[in-house]
Amino acid sequence: MGYFREEELGSSFPPFVAFLDEFGFVPHVFRAQTILPRLIEAEAALLSTIVLKEQALPRIQKEYISLTLAQANRNTYCVTAHHQMLRLLGVPEQQLDRIFGDYAQAGLSPADTDLLSFTLKLGTIGPFVSRDDVTGALAHGWTDESMLEAILTTALTNFLCTLSTGVGAAPEFTPRQIPAIGPSPFFAKPSSEGSSGPYLRAIERNPADFPPFAFFVDEFGFVPNIFRAQTLRPDILEAEASAISTVLLTGDVLTRLQKEYILLAVSAANLNTYSVAVHGEMLRTLGVAAEDSDQIAADHHQARLAEADQALLDFALKLAVQPSMFSRSDIEALRSHGFIEEQILEAVAMTSLTNFLNTLQMGLGATPDFAPRRVFRPDPAKIAHLSAPAHRPSLAERPVDPDAEIVARVRNGDLDVFEELINRHSRRVYRTLVGILGNEDEARDAMQDTFLKVFQHLGDFQQRSKFSTWLVSIAGNTGLQRLRERRHLESLDDDVSASEEGFRPREVRAWADDPEELCSKAEIRALVEKTVMKLPAKYRVVVVLRDLEQLSIEDTAEALGLGIPALKARHLRGRLMVREALSPHFTGGAQGVTV
Amino acid sequence: MISCTDFMAEIANYLDGEVAADVRSQLENHLSHCKTCQVVLDSTRKTLKIVTDSGSFDLPEAAFKPIAERIMARIRSARR
Repeated sequence: MGYFREEELGSSFPPFVAFLDEFGFVPHVFRAQTILPRLIEAEAALLSTIVLKEQALPRIQKEYISLTLAQANRNTYCVTAHHQMLRLLGVPEQQLDRIFGDYAQAGLSPADTDLLSFTLKLGTIGPFVSRDDVTGALAHGWTDESMLEAILTTALTNFLCTLSTGVGAAPEFTPRQIPAIGPSPFFAKPSSEGSSGPYLRAIERNPADFPPFAFFVDEFGFVPNIFRAQTLRPDILEAEASAISTVLLTGDVLTRLQKEYILLAVSAANLNTYSVAVHGEMLRTLGVAAEDSDQIAADHHQARLAEADQALLDFALKLAVQPSMFSRSDIEALRSHGFIEEQILEAVAMTSLTNFLNTLQMGLGATPDFAPRRVFRPDPAKIAHLSAPAHRPSLAERPVDPDAEIVARVRNGDLDVFEELINRHSRRVYRTLVGILGNEDEARDAMQDTFLKVFQHLGDFQQRSKFSTWLVSIAGNTGLQRLRERRHLESLDDDVSASEEGFRPREVRAWADDPEELCSKAEIRALVEKTVMKLPAKYRVVVVLRDLEQLSIEDTAEALGLGIPALKARHLRGRLMVREALSPHFTGGAQGVTV
Repeated sequence: MISCTDFMAEIANYLDGEVAADVRSQLENHLSHCKTCQVVLDSTRKTLKIVTDSGSFDLPEAAFKPIAERIMARIRSARR
């Protein structure tokens, strides 16, 4: 079941009555939030105005948008739910399979296909969306009203994907397996520089006689441009105002400041210049210096924040940009910092709302209301963490997971085949643990813990990453937990960049032409093992996973929860340290190895 | 001009063939007249090969068997 305790709200709780009426059941993503009913009310209002109410775009079109995006996000819960919705709307199974295989080949009209390409681009690599993408769709005959609904549906889908991951929602129907090969969603068109928005037509409104605007003036002192761009749908603006009021402004569970920190850090990770500028300014009015906000946006670990708030931001960032790695243990980690269940649920809702607002802004092209102190540019290399296989997989590139079938069988109750998973991955798990713990006996012991945890949490594994990567990350967490327990001073989280500077090689004598001839295989192995064991843990684990286990850079980064640049820096440093230690044994004049 | 420190910072990318053409030519230019960096590059390349070929921390299949059995026993007893 979900990550939070569920409470009985009675059969007359209005959102649940509406869900039963509309779908015949109450989706688990909402049932999992009964400890804070106000969240469910706000979310239900968004869902009802954006998706259920039919105005410009037909309901089926919106469900196609949600299904394809949930598929690209590799969110099994949302895929299963939208699949079921489309079934209820009468779409034949065969057509659903075609959409699911490749929407571009599913016999949709060119206008429909292009709309899905646009919403997928917005939903997965939003910072790359430009005015051209929107005008391209308008040229296909979509009206401003339909485009607004398409953008809102995309934003809401990302909201629900994040939310369902964060609350641990379990599919209410037979889970739809997400095929490894899927749509390639993007117009491969570069953004044109300086094409600022807003992209869609909007009507000027006066806060004095337009209630949604009156709310923003009351709360913030102005009407942010992201809302000015949506005046074609006052009912949705009302629902958004109520969501902001409920999730962001209510300060009795998490504080308003804590929630603004989440908004700022997640928006920066999403490269959303707009939200960083606007909420940096809001933090300033709440008494936080601009320099402090800048630091939270740049790297919250270096910011002046309480330890618990740092952990809160670690949690939010993982949920927002690394959902495939998110699990119950992240909830438990926050609990260990003293957060109560209601606060953790609010952090999930705040993170989801941030993804909603970021996606919405990138689709609308709303310009910042304050001069940005920092402009985030969607440089393809820098955005790799958003579109990399780990988080936003390009499905075509993702090979079939060789373990998927066995994992499915274990989940269906065939316990015995779990042994096959152990046999396949023992070596890798063992090496990971040796890499972290630096001790072979302890690694053997920790292997057992790792596989037991894997078994217990197999239900949480969402198949957005490879099983083997997920397994290595659990081995990593298990190893780290043991390190902490023995109060070891070693840590994998130290800032590495500082120590990176100024690493100077001391051993500069030339090596023998064929150093491996200098000693026996057994001697070399003993020497390498001894050398690797002596490395600090944060380098040791990277050297073991990359050079011994030969995991790819991407898989290693994902398993250790590191960014690729940080991983590369540690790897380089680790390799150079090994070189330094091996050097005396392999320089031309040296004879043999002394271990 | 790039320094030895710059070269060290790029050495892994260089070995992995992951530097852009212009950076590559700058690195090679540095390399052509810097004996120290030649040695470090050569020995780092050899280090990598030695580490990868060493088979370190690998155990024979049989060593994992009792561990797998213990894990399966725990799982089965929990389900009963």
